[in-house]
Amino acid sequence: MDTLLRLEDLTMHYKTKAGWVQAIDGVSFSLNKGQSLGLVGESGCGKTSIAMSLMRLLPNNAKLVRGRVLFGGQDLYALSDEEIRKLRWKKIAMIFQAAMNSLNPVYSVGNQIIEAILTHEPETSEEEARERVKSLFELVGIPAERMGHYPHEYSGGMKQRAVIAMALACRPSLIIADEPTTALDVIVQDKILREIEDIRCKINMSMIYISHDVSVIAEVSDVVGVMYAGKLLELGPADDVFKKPRNPYTYSLMYAYPSILGEKHDLVTIPGEPPNLLAPPAGCRFHPRCDWATKECAKVEPVWHEIANGHYLACHNPIRTEAVKPCVEQVAATGNAQVAATGTVTEMHQVTAKGGDGNGASGSN
Amino acid sequence: MNELAPTPGTGSASLTEPLWKIRWKLTRRSFAQSWEIFRESRIGMIGIILIIAFGIFGALWPIMINTVWDPMVYDPVVGFDPMSMHPSPPSAAHLLGTDPIGRDILAQLMYSTGREFLLGVLSAVITVVIGTTVGTAAAYYGGLIDTVFMRIADIILLFPFIPLLVVMGSMVKLSFLPFAVIMGVLGGFGGITIILKAQALSVSVRPYIDAARVAGGSDFHIIVSHIIPNVLPLSFLYMMFSVTSAILSEATLSFFGVLNIDMSWGMMIHTADVAGYLFDFARYWWLWAPSGLAITLFCAAFYMVGRGLDEVVNPRLRKR
Amino acid sequence: MRRYVFGRVGQVILTLLIYITLVYFLLQAMPGDITMMYLSNPKIPQAAREELRSQLGLDQSLFIQYVSYMKNFFRGELGVSFSQYPKPVWDILMEKLPRTFVLFLTANILSFYIGFVLGKVIAWRRGKIIDHAATVVGITFWTAFYPLLALVVIWIFAYNLKWLPLNQFIDPRLWTAAPFTANQVFGNMVCGAAIVAIGIFLIFFYLLRGLKPSRRSRVYAWSATAALIAAVVFVAVRKGMLIYIWDITRHMILPVLTLTLINFAGTMLLMRDSMLETVQEDYVLAARAKGLPDRVVRDRYAARTALLPTVTSLVLSLASSMSGGMVTETMFSWPGLGQTLFTAALANDYPLATGALAFTGIFLLIAHFIADILYAVLDPRITYTGQSGI
Repeated sequence: MDTLLRLEDLTMHYKTKAGWVQAIDGVSFSLNKGQSLGLVGESGCGKTSIAMSLMRLLPNNAKLVRGRVLFGGQDLYALSDEEIRKLRWKKIAMIFQAAMNSLNPVYSVGNQIIEAILTHEPETSEEEARERVKSLFELVGIPAERMGHYPHEYSGGMKQRAVIAMALACRPSLIIADEPTTALDVIVQDKILREIEDIRCKINMSMIYISHDVSVIAEVSDVVGVMYAGKLLELGPADDVFKKPRNPYTYSLMYAYPSILGEKHDLVTIPGEPPNLLAPPAGCRFHPRCDWATKECAKVEPVWHEIANGHYLACHNPIRTEAVKPCVEQVAATGNAQVAATGTVTEMHQVTAKGGDGNGASGSN
Repeated sequence: MNELAPTPGTGSASLTEPLWKIRWKLTRRSFAQSWEIFRESRIGMIGIILIIAFGIFGALWPIMINTVWDPMVYDPVVGFDPMSMHPSPPSAAHLLGTDPIGRDILAQLMYSTGREFLLGVLSAVITVVIGTTVGTAAAYYGGLIDTVFMRIADIILLFPFIPLLVVMGSMVKLSFLPFAVIMGVLGGFGGITIILKAQALSVSVRPYIDAARVAGGSDFHIIVSHIIPNVLPLSFLYMMFSVTSAILSEATLSFFGVLNIDMSWGMMIHTADVAGYLFDFARYWWLWAPSGLAITLFCAAFYMVGRGLDEVVNPRLRKR
Repeated sequence: MRRYVFGRVGQVILTLLIYITLVYFLLQAMPGDITMMYLSNPKIPQAAREELRSQLGLDQSLFIQYVSYMKNFFRGELGVSFSQYPKPVWDILMEKLPRTFVLFLTANILSFYIGFVLGKVIAWRRGKIIDHAATVVGITFWTAFYPLLALVVIWIFAYNLKWLPLNQFIDPRLWTAAPFTANQVFGNMVCGAAIVAIGIFLIFFYLLRGLKPSRRSRVYAWSATAALIAAVVFVAVRKGMLIYIWDITRHMILPVLTLTLINFAGTMLLMRDSMLETVQEDYVLAARAKGLPDRVVRDRYAARTALLPTVTSLVLSLASSMSGGMVTETMFSWPGLGQTLFTAALANDYPLATGALAFTGIFLLIAHFIADILYAVLDPRITYTGQSGI
């Protein structure tokens, strides 16, 4: 399979009055053509910063400390401003976190999409572009006659669809969807996610989903990456990660959601708060909140390494797969974090419950 | 069960400090936070420094006239220096020279500073008190009160202030205080009401206002302790801009000689103008430059403080 | 849209009535009346004064006086000027109004445009030298003492550099032999300028519609514009007015410059602030993500929405701009409404002063009205029932 996108040790910091915020630290992964990658993590863990650095749309106070972003073999940060401008939307498009506000209130929605097409394909005539927008509107399920309407005349769901249509306008090879459905109610959310997936399969496009919601990611991604405090902790095929989470953080994140259909279970809570990225903890950034943490975790930064085919991990004390295996199958199947009350899990819960400040002994050993 | 039932007074009784003390602390803390933000604004700080400088300059006047300066010579209105030809250029006796009728320019400038402060601040306070009260009432009560005051504001916005005051001034020569009051009142019922009403309106639809109402707070209580505190920062901001407009209007009208004011920066230029010295602009620079510069700097100082405050009130203007 | 406009017209008429009423009572509230002038004159006996009062209707009740005043006002009978006796006030004002109109309109459009463009540019380059420099210059002009600014402008351009005429509306030496009156020429000038302005607007509106006008329609638009201007100039030459038009234009430059300097800073500073807010909007980020060129993002996204609050404040500042206009007219002896009002007020010419004040108000009302309509056109969220959308 062809590699479309490759991040190599991407490290990006923001300069603030208080100092440098280490927003992204040594993130590496690659994405193949036609694949979809889900990035999941708590808010403020650097997901959106990754999206913005892929578009090279970082604010002025951001600084690329090291690493490369290779898109189709090209280093995005070696391109000139003009070259990156031409690449945006044409090759990498984006569905924004706040779709509601990502449309200009004073131009009609149709014109905003036509504008994108005409900018990147100067040879296209306005009529052709209009036709294309019409068919895009049909594809995402908005009546074509609403093209001439202004954003404030659209409902929330329609705006979201319009933004998706806009992302598809130039037939990009990669779309980054940053919390594409967070602002919508669950039913519309589900419908829109499914539509995006349909379209993606039809035109063989790559996709990066970014969400704090494990269920959204589980529903749509081939590959899942788990981020914490600017670092990637685990990444691998969705089945592997959800069935056999190796990193304690992945595990906690998955069981932090209640289940409606499954059996009752204790919710896993992660004690403490995400670290201050001005001065992240030494060693593993998750160690102060981790029930599995050992002395080593506080000192030595875990190495990012491949543990199975395509499954990467950064952890000193990974959870042994056999122990967790039986309880997680439903998660991947339904996309909802569920737990069956097995012995092992209960045992771990006990550990979780008593570990307060996170210096507890490693639970799985 | 009984112990859980709220009894009147438990809320405040459980507090170790009286309510006003807590309020005072909160106010002080929010003030300190605002000051932190304000200090970031370079332009606002320049404004503050200028205002303080003007304050010191104005405060020097009573000291100088009672100690160093001879009132016969240095009185800003009736003083006269028989020693030289007038207008005389800057010299050791008259650091900024004298005006065409032999009065000391520096003394005039100093004397006027305090009066400009009084004029600007008085009219701005009137403007803001009226604007805040009317704007809040219009937003909270709506209906007829709202309609009436908004129409009044519309009409006042139409009033060309300067021409109107010129016509009025030609009939009754307005003196210092009435002028300040008129400026304040016209400003208060004008555009500022519309802006403050919009702000009060956005406050009055917030959930805690409903909560206060459900809790049985009277209209007066809600307006005074919930709405007005949230409108005040914006009021304070517009107060700065009101000072600027009051001073500029006074200077302009004094320049045209339609005010009954014995001495002000505008009057100083008026004096030079009627005596015909402004046509030889560059030669008699000391007749217009100090007062002209003072007007601009003074107004700019308040305007800049206003802009600094703008960054406090409106977080989206801050750098990050 | 039509309902909106009619609704606004109704409001404007109502406001106008209230305004004129206020002006009337304001002047009534002033101590004394016209006959007071004769009080100090011992030769006029008390009886004669009383007679004069009844002739003038001053012995009637205030209400009757008011009703007759309003009736006369709307018939265009504003009385006779004292200082330019026996010229009717109406005639004087009709002569002055176009001059104020032209000065006010030109300076306001210019200052708004300059303020808009500068504000846009400096906000886009926030924190750079140009931002600081423009802010300092802007604050200086914004808080400058208008009469002094006018004097400085006169001193630099007319007195020192001698580029432009010193004062007034026309150069008397040139006009002694002229076959036209100044008002005729001025009227023609205004008509010509209006034709050119409307023509250019229509040409660009119809030929350069759409997101991507073809090169051919661009060429058409520019050549049509050139042709229109050439035609108007040709007519002026044929009528033999060109040199006189040039003279009036030369006299206009300094007042327009001064008024523009007074006004542009307010728009610029406001536009800067407004734009600093809009650049943080998500749609601006989205526009950059779309790969639109920097200029397009700035002009069509950030600046376009930042324009709206700036227009609102333009509406709010029309009155103060009128005040600035009056100072400018007076300083440059530009014979318009403001100067007339000023001289009338100083000469105790009450009918003329009242008339000028009333007309200033009417003038502002109309400007206000136009700016309101303009705002509604610019903001699609305004539904024409008078309420804004979301």
